[in-house]
Amino acid sequence: MRKHLRYIAVAVAAASMIGLAGCSSNGGGDGGKTTLTMLMADPQKNLQPAIDGFEKKYPNIKVNYEYVPFDQYNNLVEQRIGGKDAGVDVFDVDSGTVGTLANKGYLVDLTSDFAKDVKNKSLPAEYEANTFQGKLWSVPMWDSMQYLYYNKDLLAKAGIPEPSQDPSKRLTYQQLSEDAKKAQEAGAKWDLLFDQINRYYQLQAVIESAGGGSGATGKNLLTADIDNKGWVDAMSWYSTLFSDGLAPRGVATEQLPPLFSSGQAAYIISGPWQAATNKADKAAVKYGVAPTPFFEGGKPAMSTGSWNLGLNPASKNQDAAKKLLQYLSLDEEGNSLTAKVLGISPTNKVAFDKFVAGLDSLDGTNTAGMSKLTNEELNTIAVNRPNTPGFTQLADVTGRAFDDIRNGQPVQSTLSSAQKELQGLWDRLK
Amino acid sequence: MGSTQVITATTNRGAGVMPASRRRPPRLRGSWLAALLFIAPTLVLLFVLRVIPTIEGIISSFQKSVSALAPPSWAGLNNYVALFENGDFLKVLGITGIFIVLIVPFQIVVAIFVALLLNETFRGRGIVRAFIFLPVAAPAAVATVIWGIAFQPQGPINAVLESVGIPGQPFLTSPSQALISIIILMSWIGIGYWTLFLIAGLQDIPGELYEAAALDGAGWWRCFWSVTLPNLRRTLAFVIVADTVSSLIAFVPVAILTRGGPAGSTRLIMFDVYNNTFVLGDVHLGSAEVTVLIAILVTITAIQFRLLGKEK
Repeated sequence: MRKHLRYIAVAVAAASMIGLAGCSSNGGGDGGKTTLTMLMADPQKNLQPAIDGFEKKYPNIKVNYEYVPFDQYNNLVEQRIGGKDAGVDVFDVDSGTVGTLANKGYLVDLTSDFAKDVKNKSLPAEYEANTFQGKLWSVPMWDSMQYLYYNKDLLAKAGIPEPSQDPSKRLTYQQLSEDAKKAQEAGAKWDLLFDQINRYYQLQAVIESAGGGSGATGKNLLTADIDNKGWVDAMSWYSTLFSDGLAPRGVATEQLPPLFSSGQAAYIISGPWQAATNKADKAAVKYGVAPTPFFEGGKPAMSTGSWNLGLNPASKNQDAAKKLLQYLSLDEEGNSLTAKVLGISPTNKVAFDKFVAGLDSLDGTNTAGMSKLTNEELNTIAVNRPNTPGFTQLADVTGRAFDDIRNGQPVQSTLSSAQKELQGLWDRLK
Repeated sequence: MGSTQVITATTNRGAGVMPASRRRPPRLRGSWLAALLFIAPTLVLLFVLRVIPTIEGIISSFQKSVSALAPPSWAGLNNYVALFENGDFLKVLGITGIFIVLIVPFQIVVAIFVALLLNETFRGRGIVRAFIFLPVAAPAAVATVIWGIAFQPQGPINAVLESVGIPGQPFLTSPSQALISIIILMSWIGIGYWTLFLIAGLQDIPGELYEAAALDGAGWWRCFWSVTLPNLRRTLAFVIVADTVSSLIAFVPVAILTRGGPAGSTRLIMFDVYNNTFVLGDVHLGSAEVTVLIAILVTITAIQFRLLGKEK
């Protein structure tokens, strides 16, 4: 009996050792190395130069990268961060979702670690964009800006003058539609596209330009206002893009940028990454870059903001994770490397200046004048997403409304239904 | 026979110790124990993976919290009131009902006739069977993406229609066609799947019954109505119940292609549950919806079993 007990004790001890070994690897240890896991909405190749730079600087920290496509990203954050998954250390935080995530307890308060540096080293708007209720919850990585790209050959064929690069001579959306119709008559397959044709991020600028506001008002930005005159006017113009056949219905948003880069579309409103897509396309279209249009009778507005980085409260590697945040956001070299492949703007002031200086030569003569335009636009007309704790609901409800309007549903009734649904969802957050 | 003797003998032996009515004979007890041990792992898994989460889900439907991380507090019937006061959820239930009423009879009727056809002997039967069953092997997400491209207004289906003079259709971009398009997509996979079960059921029907019916002068329709259908009852009961359940929890095509649109015309209940729970992070509202869904499933399944289980 005693012998049996001894066998059992040995077996239990062995099992415990296996368990401990398992715990050790889960905790991020790997022969003295700490392993950090990033949950990101961009393919790994876009961040690889920055990861390589970080691992070189910190040889005892290894970075494991998990990519989730954008459409599933916020759902995965809800499941994994909301599920206290310690397997994620650092994760992408979309501009506008900082308040939502902080309110849910999905982010570590980074005020004491990084607030001072973000104020001093990052672009001026970044501190506010990453702050909710007076605390810093994430650190900036990228910023974004929008341009009107036009296909020179298609415009020449249709006899349309090229848009001016001078912001004071920017086109109105209405003028642009008329020009796009001429391009259609001259044989362009598609005429006027948006890079993210059914997402709040890009359509916010059209609505703000028409005087509709962000849609989030009142105390804590939880009063919906998405069926006012500005929203209706902006969406009425948007619906004509599809009813007039200027832009396609039923095509996924990520399939649109290649339509411009392959020479099938006359205009596209997109970020600096469109230039990288154009450059990589074999079609080698000749194109130019102009300021984004504004709404007739309204004021110019351009979408901005991009991905930030947050720290999972369940992470077992908080110190190492903060080193990664510091490198990718506040370190000039690290922040520059994050933007190297994608061609998006970094947020570190020095890295940003270098990035903007390089925009003119991003794609030969096609991108001439882009640097000056970027500085002017960012300083004067940039609008970021509202930092409401109900941004997820705002993006979801308006996204479906945009889809419905795109598919031909009446603007006024669609926005009224969306207003009612959004307010109902926000009332549950109060 | 032998086992009966053994049981009798052991019963007699044990009678002196304890009355047979109070204590099972050792062999019999051993058999029960063995059976229990065999099914114990399944019972444990069933309890841990099904019963406990169901109870947790029902409890969660009566709670509220700011997020999944925050401790929940009691909300009474608030989540249910929010659901039923909101016209959108009633619309979701209505669309799901229309979807079930259309897709289940359509798939079952077509699957029965395909099964009857494939149960006959003809040249090339193997190839036809392979084509019918092939969609079952295709991953749902892949099939959905391919159908999504086919359904695009500028897609191949409209190219074919326009080549024969029929105007292009809006398909997934139209509130009046989107649900039908989803039904076609799901039936492309579903019909082949349910046909498999029905063929098995048909092959279990004794040939003598058809011979007797033929001698009595019954035609094809009479044989189908009086011989095939009654003898296919058990298989059919399973197929109808399983098809109803799988259609009620249909999710992939809606999530990938329409996100419930246009104008909410494809917002089936499972997508609504997913959206509330994982996109909007309202776990407790999602739990209330799941509880309603379970109640609907149990009711429909019970009615179907009762109707189909009755012998003539």
